[in-house]
Amino acid sequence: MARTGCAITGIGRTAFTRRSGRTTLAMAAEACRTAVADAGLTMADVDGMIAFQAGDSVGPLSVSRAIGIPELAWNIDVLGGGNVVANIVATAGAAIDAGLCRAVLVYRSLNGRSGYRFGTSTARQQVGGEMQFDAPHGYLVPPQWIAMWARRHQHEYGSTCDDLGQIAITQRAHAVPNEHAINRTPLTLDEYRNGRWINEPFRIYDCAYEIDGAVAVLVVGPELAEACAVSPAWLVGSADSQSGDGWTQWDDPTSMYSRHAAPRLWNRTGLSAADMDVACMYDCFTYTVMATVEDFGFCAKGGVGEYFSSGRATYGGEVVVNPHGGLLSEGYIHGLNHYFEAALQLQGRAGERQVPDARRALVTAGAGPYGGATVLSADRP
Amino acid sequence: MSASASEPAPVSEPPQPLPDLDTEGFWQATARGELALCRCHDCHLWVQPPHERCPSCAGATSFQPVSGIGRVFSYIVVRHPAVSGFEHELPMVVAIVELEEQVGLRLSARILGPLEEVEIGSRVVAELVAVPGGDFRAPVFRLT
Repeated sequence: MARTGCAITGIGRTAFTRRSGRTTLAMAAEACRTAVADAGLTMADVDGMIAFQAGDSVGPLSVSRAIGIPELAWNIDVLGGGNVVANIVATAGAAIDAGLCRAVLVYRSLNGRSGYRFGTSTARQQVGGEMQFDAPHGYLVPPQWIAMWARRHQHEYGSTCDDLGQIAITQRAHAVPNEHAINRTPLTLDEYRNGRWINEPFRIYDCAYEIDGAVAVLVVGPELAEACAVSPAWLVGSADSQSGDGWTQWDDPTSMYSRHAAPRLWNRTGLSAADMDVACMYDCFTYTVMATVEDFGFCAKGGVGEYFSSGRATYGGEVVVNPHGGLLSEGYIHGLNHYFEAALQLQGRAGERQVPDARRALVTAGAGPYGGATVLSADRP
Repeated sequence: MSASASEPAPVSEPPQPLPDLDTEGFWQATARGELALCRCHDCHLWVQPPHERCPSCAGATSFQPVSGIGRVFSYIVVRHPAVSGFEHELPMVVAIVELEEQVGLRLSARILGPLEEVEIGSRVVAELVAVPGGDFRAPVFRLT
């Protein structure tokens, strides 16, 4: 999708907790119901669904039944993580543009804390495919891969752990007024430095906060968008880049998928980093923010620590990066909560953390060789 | 999470590789004490992970010995037991090693020896060790 006439209107989510005590089906249903009601629509208006999961959640047919939609004109259940989120939002818009459906619920539901945890691999397992070479060394989880990449960035550009800490600190400060955030306690640089090591150079504060919960956003075509009860967050453009090179063979870990997706996105939209008021940067780890902030052109290579510590990435600066606190502090709903936040900001409904006059938002999704991004606008393109 | 004293420690073994027709040559080589990687017969490109045909020229491939000498491209010090089988090994260094045969020819592997001596650019050499819990042998590296 380069351009589409579609928009996100209604948004919904459950509470974000460490132990939901609920099924992913129950949470998905709540988030989807809330999103439809938020848009001022009824289930009769919804004829499409797309979701993503890693074998840890429920597909659209289960959820549609749970919320009283007897059949869907269009649905896809994508196997993937944060890397597919921009693509599924774009695909929802493309399906509407193509006339396959009118209104698409996009959701993610997971018990990411009490159930299957992405940062952990404890079941005895046999590992096939390209990761079989990593298996005997226990090199199998994202907090290892991305720490490995961060170390290379430190080597080539002189970035430091304190630079990563500035990202964590800024985002935590953003989470403080966010009642939905899982961690709202301010973080100091000293506390960051005293955080326990996970995989050096990553400490605990460099890692997303795994939680249970669900988020849904409703994507609709232009006519329905104008008829909704909330103002549309228009899908201005989207770009993806996914590489099969993987975490070990990728040639230059000082940049990510975004080194391809960013120019693709800016070329398609005619916009640049300087045009963004809000940037919901996928932050499974602090280093993901560092590499993608550079790749999308917010600041020069190696300058991210200073970019954050000098206030350029927060209120009163150039762009507010992750005003909700991000996956690091609001919680890890696998990046779909970034779309929720971007819509909320563009709709002027973010309350105490509202970014003044937020008109355009960049949302990124994914890390390493795999990801994509979306530009959303309060103004119809 | 700490186990109570009355509970026996759970059996914890590292994940085991699951070879397929494209990769089994690697594991057959390590089993006989050799580190061998996939290489194109036609253009001589080293191909890791292995493929039946060369990604560049579609030539036939086979597993051919490598020196096992390389340099640390990047590394981490694993301190949190996120993956089972290494609880008693931590802290340990896992690195991406770039082999001398070809720019960009890389393996992830543990680096044995004093972890504080590992740096990006360190010269390392492979040795083969048994993977606990199964019949596989895998390459690890030591500083040279």
